[in-house]
Amino acid sequence: MFRTISIFVFIATFVCIGVCCLVSPCSKECRWGPVNVLRRLIHVFTLLLLQQKLSPIGVLKKLIYLLAVLCFIVLAITGFYQRLILDEPISGYLMMIHATFAPIFAICLAALAVMWASSNRFEKSDCPSVQRILRCVTRLRIPIEASGCNITLLAQKITFWIIMFLALPLILSIIMSMFSLFGTAGQEFLLATHRWTALAFAVVAIVHTYLTIRAQMKQY
Amino acid sequence: MKSKIIAALVLSQWLFTYSVLAGDVAKLPGDESDGSRATPIHLIPLYAENEDGEKGEQIKPDAEFPMPFSTRWTCSSSDCHSYETVSKGWHFNSVDPNVTAGRVGEPWIYFDPKLGLQVPLSYRPWPGTFRPEEIGLSAFQFTRIFGRHMPGGGPGEVDSNDFDEIARQFVSGKLEVNCFACHNAHYGQDMGGLGGYAVQVTRENFRWAAAASCEFASVTGSAAKVLETYDPFMPDPDEENAPRVTYRKERFNENNEVLLQIVREVSNERCYYCHSDLYYSHSGDTEKWTSDEDVHLKAGLKCVDCHRNGIEHNMIRGYAEEAGISQNPLAATSSCEGCHLSEGGDEPEAGRLGAPVPTHPGIPPIHFEKLTCTACHSGPWPAEQTVLTKTSRAHRLGTPNVNKAKEMLPHIISPVFAKEGEAVAEYSGRHAASEDGKIAPHKVIWPAYWGKLEDNGVKPIELAIVEKVISGVFTDLELPATGDWPVVTKDMIATALKALTKTVDGKAVYAAGGRLYSLDDSDQLVEQANHPAAAPYMWPIAHNVRPASQSLGVRYCEDCHSPDASFFFGGVTIDTPVVSERESIKKMVEFQDISPFYAWAFAFSFVFRPWLKVIALACAVVIAAVLLLYALRLLGCIAKVFAEQE
Repeated sequence: MFRTISIFVFIATFVCIGVCCLVSPCSKECRWGPVNVLRRLIHVFTLLLLQQKLSPIGVLKKLIYLLAVLCFIVLAITGFYQRLILDEPISGYLMMIHATFAPIFAICLAALAVMWASSNRFEKSDCPSVQRILRCVTRLRIPIEASGCNITLLAQKITFWIIMFLALPLILSIIMSMFSLFGTAGQEFLLATHRWTALAFAVVAIVHTYLTIRAQMKQY
Repeated sequence: MKSKIIAALVLSQWLFTYSVLAGDVAKLPGDESDGSRATPIHLIPLYAENEDGEKGEQIKPDAEFPMPFSTRWTCSSSDCHSYETVSKGWHFNSVDPNVTAGRVGEPWIYFDPKLGLQVPLSYRPWPGTFRPEEIGLSAFQFTRIFGRHMPGGGPGEVDSNDFDEIARQFVSGKLEVNCFACHNAHYGQDMGGLGGYAVQVTRENFRWAAAASCEFASVTGSAAKVLETYDPFMPDPDEENAPRVTYRKERFNENNEVLLQIVREVSNERCYYCHSDLYYSHSGDTEKWTSDEDVHLKAGLKCVDCHRNGIEHNMIRGYAEEAGISQNPLAATSSCEGCHLSEGGDEPEAGRLGAPVPTHPGIPPIHFEKLTCTACHSGPWPAEQTVLTKTSRAHRLGTPNVNKAKEMLPHIISPVFAKEGEAVAEYSGRHAASEDGKIAPHKVIWPAYWGKLEDNGVKPIELAIVEKVISGVFTDLELPATGDWPVVTKDMIATALKALTKTVDGKAVYAAGGRLYSLDDSDQLVEQANHPAAAPYMWPIAHNVRPASQSLGVRYCEDCHSPDASFFFGGVTIDTPVVSERESIKKMVEFQDISPFYAWAFAFSFVFRPWLKVIALACAVVIAAVLLLYALRLLGCIAKVFAEQE
């Protein structure tokens, strides 16, 4: 069942992203010439997704982000390949690679949580609809932003926090199984938790990455 | 008139019903329990078998030349127990080609150090064993050699086709199923004593063996020493070597009946006669009192509490897959999982006989897919190198004049943690490869035999030819007192192969220690390492089961997952008579169908496992702290909204 659902969810995610790209292209002017595509690819792969900061902290933030993305890709491939493609549990060298990159990814997630939480906190300006509701139900004098809701930014923030929230069961489920606390039933529960959380995490991470690219491309 | 018609109808109906039922019910009164758990009294007459193979005279102890009693005609006299049903049981049905062989088990091992032979034999089609007739052993000869640790029946009752042997078999009789070997609870049941069952079998006193094993009879003489023309049914008083039985008169009552101490549930001592193991530990302690018995026995169970059977004697062997092939209704619930872990259907099944239900804390479930229960719980704790092991059946344990030296042949090596149903990847052509095979502890024997190369493999050469040719070559061979292999060199093997090649049709070869030796066109010795024909024969270890607190992995994962863990990297001795190859060792991992480098790398990664736990937990704490911080901020905002504050 997990295999079927995972394949379906991944396909659905990529289809939705594709549809979103087509229905609502990120660039204001749809420039699809070869040079423009190449520029976009260069921007993506050098990850000018992040605003260039020349300070050491900025460099560190970018490096951690790059490392996190790399770890995520490796973990997703090693974690899902055997289960989805070969329909067998993860084992062998893939499992060793998965277990090697996992702590690095955990460190990156913790660092990202500290470094990016502030910039991803929700503000009144994120969604004018909320401002309108508050103005109606309270006596607060809340100025309503003239600009509309920045859906991309809002979704980006939401996915960031979902990622952070899902990181906890993702990490804890597998670490708890390494202690002599849970019997076979508990081990199977923890493994199932890790599996399903990983699926949700992967989907949200893919969406978050897409939204981040989209947001930066808009700026660009 | 009317009443007569009704009576006739009722009678005919009753007769019809009875005849139908009688046709379906083949069991004798003693074959089916009435529900009482008490043991019926066995005050019974004893009967011999006559020269026609039928029920003979009742045994009278004061007869001049009493015959030995026959278990077939005694136990089935008075229509008590169906001998035919019992003799189809697992212990007796090895020669029946229609019986499903099931999981491979311990073979009978024919060995002869003078000829460089160590051959695993079995009538069951277990891959890796040879049928006795492949090396020229008839059922009669097989019974004479190995019947000492057989409960009778099987090859002991096979009629010989050889003219000379037919006469010999008439003198010796057949080795019937010896019910007393298991079911006689008297302390005088003598299987391995100086005049007991094993000695009688060796003397070819098959007809007398069961009687000799009982406490109320003794047997002298030897059928092997009398002529083939001797008639045991008309004993010659002048024939001093003829087998004779003497009964203790005080055991017979006025009706010439004997009160037998028969039990349904066999005691462990009876099983131990054939099923004892001796593991030579590296510390050198081999006395029984220095090692612990199976934890199930110490918990109060008997062997037969798990290895149950009905009158069919279709004994439960106790492995997980048995339920799929056995007719025994308890097979599914009598394996390790069946007793300890079974989920059951309408009723709970786990915990039979007080079996604890294990939780296996901290063990990832993948272990239960890759390992059998016995891998962690049974046999000796894996050490740096495997140890020599003795078994009752291979080493005649419990019989007179056993060579107690550690190196006594045959050499059985254990424990070898290997994939069930598959020896080594290189040997997969020889054994029934099973991709789903789990890793289990095994006993191993490295076959050594002379054969000839054929299209479909190597066929062993018959013993008669081997004896004739090889003993002429190995004339100066010094046999060590320990019973170990003599010094056999490669030159000797080359000379022997040259001699054999002149005698047999085809190319003569010698398999030993995993290698196949042959001669090339210029008569030079050629070796092929890891040859399928020389593959080790392995059979799973189930006992002794260690307590849970002594199972692999109970302390830490590094019991198995460390770069020097014996489970993966322990040495497996390669046993061979060839002196230059005797120091060879294989790693345990080579028998597990796992890449040695991967096993080492994975084990090495466990060095960093504690760091992984600490780092991951610390990261989780940090993430949780961030989530908590901003969750509290959100809560603060909500509180301000409800307080209608800015």
